[in-house]
Amino acid sequence: MATQQTRRRSVTQTHERVAQLGWKRSYHEPVPIYDTRYVFPDKAKDPMKQVMRDYLPMQLEKDERVYGGFDAALRAGMPTKADERWLQIMKPLILILVYAEGAAGRCMSVVMDVVPNEELLNGYHVQFVDEVRHIGMQMNLARWYAKNTPDPAGWHKGQEYMAENLFTRAGVNMFSHSFTGDPIAAGFTMMTVIETAFTNVAFVALPDVATRNGDFIQATTYSSVQSDEARHISNGYATMLTVLQEPENIPLIQHDLQQAWWIVHAFVDPFVGTIMEYFSTDRSDEESYLTKWDRWIRDDWYRSYVEQLGKMGVDIPPAMFERARERLVAGLHHKTAPLAFATWPLAFWKFDPLTQTDFEWFERQYPGWYDEYGATWEAYAALADPEENALLLSGLLDGAPPFCFTCMLACVLDDDMCHRTCQDRHGVERTRFYCSPECKWLDETNPGRYTGDRNYFDKHHGKALSEVIVELGLLRADGKTLVGQPHLRTDRMWTLDDIRAADLQITSPNITTAEAMGLPCGSWHDEGDPFGAVQGDGNGFQPVTLYGGGGGTNGDGRNGYSLDDLAAAAVGSTPWVKL
Amino acid sequence: MAGEVRAGERRQRRGEDPERQFQWVVPKKRKASVYEDLTLDTQPSVHRFMRNGWYCSFPDGRGTWDDASTELAVATWSAFRDPNELWERPYYQQGAQCEKEIDAAVEGARAEGLNAGMPDAWVEFLRRDGQVTAFVEHGIWSIATRRSRAALSDVLTHGIVLYAAMKQRQAQAHVIHGMDLDQDLGDVTIEAAKERWLQAEAWQPTRRLVERMGTITDWAELIVVSGLVVEPLLGAGLRRELLLRPALANADPVTPVIARNAQREWAWWRDFSQAFTEFVLTDEEHGAANRDIVERWLASWEPEARAAVDALEPVFSTAPRADFAAGREAVVIDQEALKAACGLSTEVPA
Repeated sequence: MATQQTRRRSVTQTHERVAQLGWKRSYHEPVPIYDTRYVFPDKAKDPMKQVMRDYLPMQLEKDERVYGGFDAALRAGMPTKADERWLQIMKPLILILVYAEGAAGRCMSVVMDVVPNEELLNGYHVQFVDEVRHIGMQMNLARWYAKNTPDPAGWHKGQEYMAENLFTRAGVNMFSHSFTGDPIAAGFTMMTVIETAFTNVAFVALPDVATRNGDFIQATTYSSVQSDEARHISNGYATMLTVLQEPENIPLIQHDLQQAWWIVHAFVDPFVGTIMEYFSTDRSDEESYLTKWDRWIRDDWYRSYVEQLGKMGVDIPPAMFERARERLVAGLHHKTAPLAFATWPLAFWKFDPLTQTDFEWFERQYPGWYDEYGATWEAYAALADPEENALLLSGLLDGAPPFCFTCMLACVLDDDMCHRTCQDRHGVERTRFYCSPECKWLDETNPGRYTGDRNYFDKHHGKALSEVIVELGLLRADGKTLVGQPHLRTDRMWTLDDIRAADLQITSPNITTAEAMGLPCGSWHDEGDPFGAVQGDGNGFQPVTLYGGGGGTNGDGRNGYSLDDLAAAAVGSTPWVKL
Repeated sequence: MAGEVRAGERRQRRGEDPERQFQWVVPKKRKASVYEDLTLDTQPSVHRFMRNGWYCSFPDGRGTWDDASTELAVATWSAFRDPNELWERPYYQQGAQCEKEIDAAVEGARAEGLNAGMPDAWVEFLRRDGQVTAFVEHGIWSIATRRSRAALSDVLTHGIVLYAAMKQRQAQAHVIHGMDLDQDLGDVTIEAAKERWLQAEAWQPTRRLVERMGTITDWAELIVVSGLVVEPLLGAGLRRELLLRPALANADPVTPVIARNAQREWAWWRDFSQAFTEFVLTDEEHGAANRDIVERWLASWEPEARAAVDALEPVFSTAPRADFAAGREAVVIDQEALKAACGLSTEVPA
C-alpha cells in the first residue's frame, strides 16, 4: 500500500481546469426544447466549484450515515416509540416532498437547456444528481415506515393516493411550476423561493418537530437532505446574479419572483403550517409556525435576500410578502386545518382529534384561537366514533368555500376570495374562483398554465361519499375499513357501511357557490374529458378565452385582454396586482 | 395498467401483509427490488395515477410531461427497467469507488516512481491528446443532462441523469489526471488539449459529431444514439483502444485505471440502452413503428460516427503501441454484436 498521500489539489485550480471543458460550438448550435424570455451575459460565476472527485465520496459518506441511521432506529425501537399522530402525517408529507425533489431535479434540466453560461452548468447538474439522491433516501424512508410502523395503511398505495388527494394534488400543482413554463421563472420558483426560503422550514424546523415527537429517522433523513440545499441555494443566487447583469431582465425578475413567491406561499404555508401545528403531540415547542415563519422567511429570506436585491436594481414592492404574512395572521392554516380534518374519509392517513393540551397550546400561541375554532374541534372529536353516525363533512361541505383555480386549496379567507368567468374549450361560460387576487393574477397572466380537472369536488358532485371512497380505492386490506380515520384507535374504525349509514352526498363548493352568487357554472369538470374542461387530451390544451369578472369593458360582462396586454403583464410593465 | 399484474394482488395471494408493500410497484421478478420500490412512480403520469390530467402546462400546450417528447411509443413507459437496477446509493458507491481507485493509482505511481517508467513517446502522446477525450465525454454530458427532464418515466429519467453524471465524472477524471501529470512531468495543460479539440484536423469529425448530439431534441433518440452508436464506436474506441490498451503496453500506471472505470460505467449504459431498445422494439402495438424510427436514427448517425472513428487514425498513429486497424475492427464487431442483441440488423447504413 502506498504510504504517500496524494498531494492535495487546489480546488480553485481544479475547478478552473474543469471549467475549460466548455467550448463555443462551430458545427452545430445546441437546440433547446424550452423557451425563455431572459437574455444572458457572456460571463457568469459558479459559486459551488463542485468537482466529482470530491463530490462523490462526500455524498457516499452522507448516505452511509443516513442508511446506517435506519438500522439504528429499528434497533432502538423507534417505530413504536414515535408518536402515532406524527407518523400518520408522514404519509402525505414524504410523498409530496419526493415529488418536490423530482421537480427540483427536472428544474435543473430545463434551466440547463437555456442557460448558455458554461460556468453555471456543472452546478446545476450536480444538483440534479443530488435530487436523485433525495428521492432515493425519502422513498427509502417511506418504505421503512411502511414496513415497520404500527399502522402502514396508506403507504401501501401511497403514490396512487398522492396523485388524487385533495391536498397533495395541490402540492403537485405548485411544485410543477418549477419545471414548466419559462425555465428561468421555474428556476426562481425552485431555487430562489422553495429552496432558499422554505427548505429551512421544511427541512430544518419540521425535523425539529419530528424529533420532539420521537421520530429521529425523519430528522436524520431530512437533515442530510438539507446539507445539500446550501449548494442549491448557491445555484439560485448565481442564476439571479447572472441574469441581473442584463438590465432588460429586471422587469422579468420582478414579475417572476413575485409570482413564484405567491404560488409557493399559497400552498406551503397552509400545508406545512397545518402539519407542524395540528399533527404534533409534543407541545414543548413554544415557537408557533408564524414565529418560525418570521425567523426563516421574513428575516432570513425576505429581509436578508429579496430586499438586498434592491441594491441591484430589482424593485419588488413589499406588499406581496406582507400580504402573505397577513393571511397567516388572519388564520390561513387554522381555517384550512378543519377542512382537512373534516375530509378524513377521503384521505390516506388518520387524523387524531385535538385534546385539551392542544387547545391550551394553540391559545398560548394564538390568543383567541379557542373562541374562533374551538367549537369545530370539539365537534370533530365528538363525531370521531362511528356510533355517532354523523360526519363533520356533512355540515362543513354545505357552507365550504370554493377551491382556488390557481393554487387548488380552499378560498378560506372571505375578504380575499374573488372570481372571474371564462369560456371553456367548448365555448361554455364557467366561473373560476380564487383564494386571493394574487392567485387570480397568476391565472390571468399565464394563459394555458393551469390545466386538468382542477376543482377537487366537481367530478364527484352528486355522488355518494361511499361511492367516491370506493372509486379512489381508499379501503384497507379487508376491503371494508377505510384507510383514513378520524382517530388513532384500532377499535371503532369506520367502515364503508358506516359511511353509507351516514348518507352523505358530495356537493362541490365551487358549483354551489357559483349558483348562490348567480354566476355561470362553477364546475370545471367535463363529462366528456377525463382531464377536465380546460384541456382536450391531457397533452395539450385548447386555450380558453380570457376575460375578467365584474362589469367588463366589452359590453357583455367581459373585460377584454389583448395579446399585447398579456405580453405586457408577462414582462412586468403592468402593476403586479391591484388589491 | 395495460398488461400489468398488480403487485399487491400477487402478494396478497402469497399471504404477505399487503399494507406493508408498495402495491403500485409492478415488480419485474417475483418480489419488488429496492430499486423498484424507491424509483417507480416518483414521476407521476396521466397514464398512471393522475386521472385528472396535468395541473401545470406550458404556454404552447405541452403538459407537465409530453407524450410527443419522443417519436417512439409504448404501452407503458413505466414498465421499463434498468437491467442493473442502479439507484442513488449504488451509484454513489460505485462512483466514489472509481475516484478512490484513480487516486490510489496516482498515489502508488508517485510513491513508487512509476511515471518515470513510461516511454517518452507515450508521455508526449499524453501531453498532446491524453485529455482531449474529456471534451467528448463532457459534450455528451451536456446533452444528456438537458434531455433527462423530458423522459416519460422515472426509471428513464434517473437512468439518463446518472449516465450524464458518469460522463461528467469521466471528463473530469481526465482533466484532473492532466493536472497530476502537469505537476509530475510538466507541460500537460488543458489549454493545449482544448486547442487540439478545436483545431486538430483529426479531431474535427469527432467534435462535429458531439456538437450534433447537442441538437437532439428527442430523449429516446439520445438513448439510442449514445448507447448503440456513439459510445460503442467512438467512446469505446477512445477509452479502450486509444487509451486503455496502449497505456497498459506503455507501463502507464494511472491511465488504465481511469479508462477501465469509464468502461465499467459504459457497460452499465450499454446494458441500459440495449434493454431500452429491446423494450421499444418488442412493444406489441408500437414495436414495428418503433423499429422504423430506431433504424432511421441509426442510419442517420452511424455513418458519421464511423467517419469520426476513421478520422482518428492520425491520433492513433502517434500513440505508441496503439493499433488503429485492430481497434477499429474490435469496436465495429462489438457494436454489431450489440445491435444484433437488440434485435436490429447489423447491416451498416450507407
